[in-house]
Amino acid sequence: MKIIAAIKQVPERDAQVRIDSAGKWIDEADLQYAMNEPDAYALEEALQLKEKAGGEVIVLSAGPERVGQTIREGLAKGADRAIHVVCDDLASRDALGVARLLAEAIKAENPDLILTGLQSEDLGLGQTGVIVAELLGLPHTSLILQVEKTDSGLKVKRELEEGWFQSIELPTPAVLTIQSGGTKLRYATLMGIKRAKTKEVRMVNATDLGVNAAPVVTLDAIMLPKKQKSTQILDGSAKEAAAALVEKLKFEARVL
Amino acid sequence: MSVLLVLEERGGRISRTSWEAAAAVLRLAPANEVTAVVIGAQTESLANEAATKAFGKVVRVEHPLLAHYTSDGYCAALHQLIQKESPAYIVFPHSYQVRDYAPALACRIGQVLIGDVIDIADGPVFTRQFMQGRLNGSYRHAGGGPCFVSVQAGAFRPDVPDIALPDAAGATPIEAFAPSIDAAQIRTRPGEPFRGSAQTVDLGSAQLIVSVGRGIREAENLPLVQDLATALGAELAASRPICDNGWLPMERQVGSSGQSVAPKLYLAVGISGAIQHLVGMKGSQCIVAINKDPDAPIFEVADYGIVGDLFEVVPALTETVKASKS
Amino acid sequence: MIFALPTLAEPQHFSSAERLIFVALAAVSVWAFWNRFGIVLRKILQSKKDADFRLFPIGRRVWDFFWEVMCQAKVIRQRPLPGLAHAFVFWAFCAFVLVTLNHCATALGIGFLAPEGFISRCYFYFAAAFALACALGILGLFVRRFLLRPKWLGEMVSWESGLIALLIFALMATYLAAFFVTNASPAARVLWWAHTLTLLIFLPLIPHTKHLHLVLSPVTVFLSRGGFSRIPPLSGDEDFGLVAGKDLTQIVSLQAYSCVECGRCTEHCPANNTGKTLNPKQIVLGLRGYLNEFGPASEEPLLGKYNSQQAAFECTTCGACEFQCPVGIEHVPILVGLRRGAVNTGAWEDTHGAKLFLALERGSNALGIPAVERDKFVEKNALPLYDGTQEYCLWLGCMGGYDPKGREIILALVRVMQHLGVTFGVLRKEKCTGDPVRRLGNDLLFQQLAESNIEALAQSKTKKIVSICPHCVRTIQEDWKEYGTPPPVEHHSEFMARHRDVLPKQQGSEKIVFHDPCYLGRYRNIYDEPRAVASLAGQLIEAPRHRERSFCCGAGGGLAFLGEEHGERVSHNRAAELAATGASIVGAACPFCNTMFRDALAAQGAGAPQLLDIAQLAARVLPQDNAT
Repeated sequence: MKIIAAIKQVPERDAQVRIDSAGKWIDEADLQYAMNEPDAYALEEALQLKEKAGGEVIVLSAGPERVGQTIREGLAKGADRAIHVVCDDLASRDALGVARLLAEAIKAENPDLILTGLQSEDLGLGQTGVIVAELLGLPHTSLILQVEKTDSGLKVKRELEEGWFQSIELPTPAVLTIQSGGTKLRYATLMGIKRAKTKEVRMVNATDLGVNAAPVVTLDAIMLPKKQKSTQILDGSAKEAAAALVEKLKFEARVL
Repeated sequence: MSVLLVLEERGGRISRTSWEAAAAVLRLAPANEVTAVVIGAQTESLANEAATKAFGKVVRVEHPLLAHYTSDGYCAALHQLIQKESPAYIVFPHSYQVRDYAPALACRIGQVLIGDVIDIADGPVFTRQFMQGRLNGSYRHAGGGPCFVSVQAGAFRPDVPDIALPDAAGATPIEAFAPSIDAAQIRTRPGEPFRGSAQTVDLGSAQLIVSVGRGIREAENLPLVQDLATALGAELAASRPICDNGWLPMERQVGSSGQSVAPKLYLAVGISGAIQHLVGMKGSQCIVAINKDPDAPIFEVADYGIVGDLFEVVPALTETVKASKS
Repeated sequence: MIFALPTLAEPQHFSSAERLIFVALAAVSVWAFWNRFGIVLRKILQSKKDADFRLFPIGRRVWDFFWEVMCQAKVIRQRPLPGLAHAFVFWAFCAFVLVTLNHCATALGIGFLAPEGFISRCYFYFAAAFALACALGILGLFVRRFLLRPKWLGEMVSWESGLIALLIFALMATYLAAFFVTNASPAARVLWWAHTLTLLIFLPLIPHTKHLHLVLSPVTVFLSRGGFSRIPPLSGDEDFGLVAGKDLTQIVSLQAYSCVECGRCTEHCPANNTGKTLNPKQIVLGLRGYLNEFGPASEEPLLGKYNSQQAAFECTTCGACEFQCPVGIEHVPILVGLRRGAVNTGAWEDTHGAKLFLALERGSNALGIPAVERDKFVEKNALPLYDGTQEYCLWLGCMGGYDPKGREIILALVRVMQHLGVTFGVLRKEKCTGDPVRRLGNDLLFQQLAESNIEALAQSKTKKIVSICPHCVRTIQEDWKEYGTPPPVEHHSEFMARHRDVLPKQQGSEKIVFHDPCYLGRYRNIYDEPRAVASLAGQLIEAPRHRERSFCCGAGGGLAFLGEEHGERVSHNRAAELAATGASIVGAACPFCNTMFRDALAAQGAGAPQLLDIAQLAARVLPQDNAT
């Protein structure tokens, strides 16, 4: 099976995000980046499928030069080769604009399966995978925890809400967006990093893909969220605080 | 101007998050310009429920192939409805189902969904969170064509009086819409939903919830919190780490990967309040946090907080509750 | 006076037949010796070269050789009675070199020590004194091994040890007996032959048994890497640690063949003492078994037939084994080497381990907590940021920055520093030093963390670091060196001890038992400084196992992050010992010990001593108005 794992480079979860001077985007100076965690699960699922059924795993990522580091991480974890869509204006494209880039890059490969994370940790749009499927005319399903290859295609386990799950069968080629936590991630190893040095990374220029970059949806401004509620802190000993709380819940909030 | 509001079914009725989306829609248009949409193979009771509100009309999108949700089926049906109605806005509750098909539907007509919106201001300007809730962004729809919006659960209060139907008025008109769908169009074959574990707990309808987090330290300490829940007559819930450790079953997990709850009282014990947890409970009417870290993010959303050692506060609270009830 | 004493009887004339028999027997003996020893030697020499091996500076090697081999200092110090008995056997062997050479030469008619000569008589008496001590010593060791049977020597009674003891005893007895017969008597000839035959049987037994240490351990001690628990750098693109035989270096192979199976390592191992599978002696013997079966060029995994992955990952890297070893085996680099082989190739699959690695791949601290929590702590307590002008960069570490108890230690130290008027600042951003991943064998992650920290420290122009965590101190000072030049670093015990004279004292009724952290004591040789600080707040008492013999808390080697342990918890074992001293306070000097003992002391029930870091002890006697 030929599998493409589409991964995104996002600011490290611990990064201190600051709003840039224009108030339009985060200040990227001094930021450190990592692989988007749901994408790491998508890659893991791809690698496990390859280990079970054979084939090839191709890492695909769009973004500026710094994305190369995350791509190498993907190769180090076991992907066979990579495609880097070089693009410096990723932040100004909307979900459709980004999905168009990825879909164009995928077309030439004719993969059996495209996996990507459910959503990104930075923008959290949760749409890219679904739109890629629509653009490529492929069936898709989202929030997937487990993937199993069958004779006719795939059988996947989908997470619903409130502790419910569902099995879905679908033919290949297909697009799946992967939910975190369905499997265990592997850690990066020294051996993996050394082996990755010899693997192919194909660079594709975003401008050469000839897709429409004009956004339908624009991000006007970013700001710090307002603290929505004022919290009453109840002081005193454990006993006093407990008594005060019961009093408040009964007569102020009237929920008891 | 016409606005489509896509309602979802949950347990035979229109879901709470759909009513929240209905409240959000009123920021875009008055209720009488809103077309409420119900989808399925048999939508009569849902349509009747929707018709109790003062919408412009209710549309029943009905087809045998819509008996079970599939992205292909829903996209095909709604695409045809949009072509017919030419709405300015299409608004959804931001559910797992909407996330699965709305981006594809929007793409089909060259649009992009503005998803997981927490606020709608004049303009309209849509606010959504990113960077794991650390920042808000305001979005605008550029260019022509319908604008797709989905509304985050808990962001709007569902009990907005503006859509209550005045007693004097007649019921909201209901129209039927039969999309043409071919079985071959539906490429995914969904199975019946199943539970992660045998026992079933309905946190969604619980009025009082006591929820426990990492601060409990060990499984052996759980009875402490269970006692408090019992004294209150509340359901016991937990944050993800507790369920990951297998200390409580997965179905008791509240948060982005567990249940979304909105009880009258949500009492968080030893829960620091990771964003993944907050999104599952911030719609609660009253939130109480007990945590020894005064900087724990849970206090940001709490109405009442006790900064202290849960191993002292919880037994004291259990005693006080028992005493107040006797 | 000396001539009134008996003279050593030694036949001076041998027939041609006797000479022929002697030469033939000697040849067989030497052949039997070489037949095995040559194989061992080749296995050692064919092992991979130690890329980082430097013979110089040689002074340290000469001293170690003199002190540990010639003086038998370690042997005696850590097990005084059997140690002394062993030392006498060793010294007797040294004394017997000349005696034995002369003994054999006599048969060939080229003896060089005439029994009647003054100097030779003196030497023979000198040797006789050692022979007597050796005979008594070997008798004592025999009694210990076969009658007292300490469990460290293994459950199986070693008959080969008995035979060797018998031979040594026979050598000494036949030598001593020769003083009581005359040269001409047939008894003298019988004794000569008995001594000779014993010798010729003894020689080939050396390489075939653990007595190979007679030959190898002096070399092992001389050639040791030096530095306590020093983890050697990897060399080249294909070195991932100890994966297979081909990765065993000459020093590791030499050490594997040097083990004398005394079991001191096992006796002091916290894992082995709490019912885990790890037995450091068996790790070394496992390598020897591997070398015997597969050899040093093999691709066969080292963690397999002879050693288990489980055992390798139960090590707390406390270093008690290495500290105790009398023959110069460096256990910790071997155990870490085996872990490196498993982790660097991805062969180690462990839920908790992977979680730790992923937390550090993606975040800043081993606890997996968002870095913003550290920022909040720094801000809330108004800790000054380090700007290059202050004297110290106060390193918070994962525990100091995120763990509530660790934060209390930091705040106590801050009060002490403020009281002393010493300027300090904390870094705006800090990452884990990489200690847990270094000890777990993740070289990729360790390199990333070390480089990122070294760069941050260089940018902030840090001159001096002080840290509350011995693990941070060790890692910054020793392990980072592989990737750059870290600023000088000291543990807060060293800092506070230096200022002890100007800190207030209040030696009231508190009885304080100080627990030596492994990474401060054995790793850094700091024992007195934390005691000097702790004694500011009370009377010091000692636990049975203290200083060099302190027993681990169970957290080291990354084990604090690996979930529940098998068998008894190491921390509970130690906490019980500390509580049993009757102390009112357990003094700690490491936030990891602190976190381990927090629960372990609580499990001791009511009346368990209070747990305080030495910084908290120093801070509690500061004047109240100084409180921040």
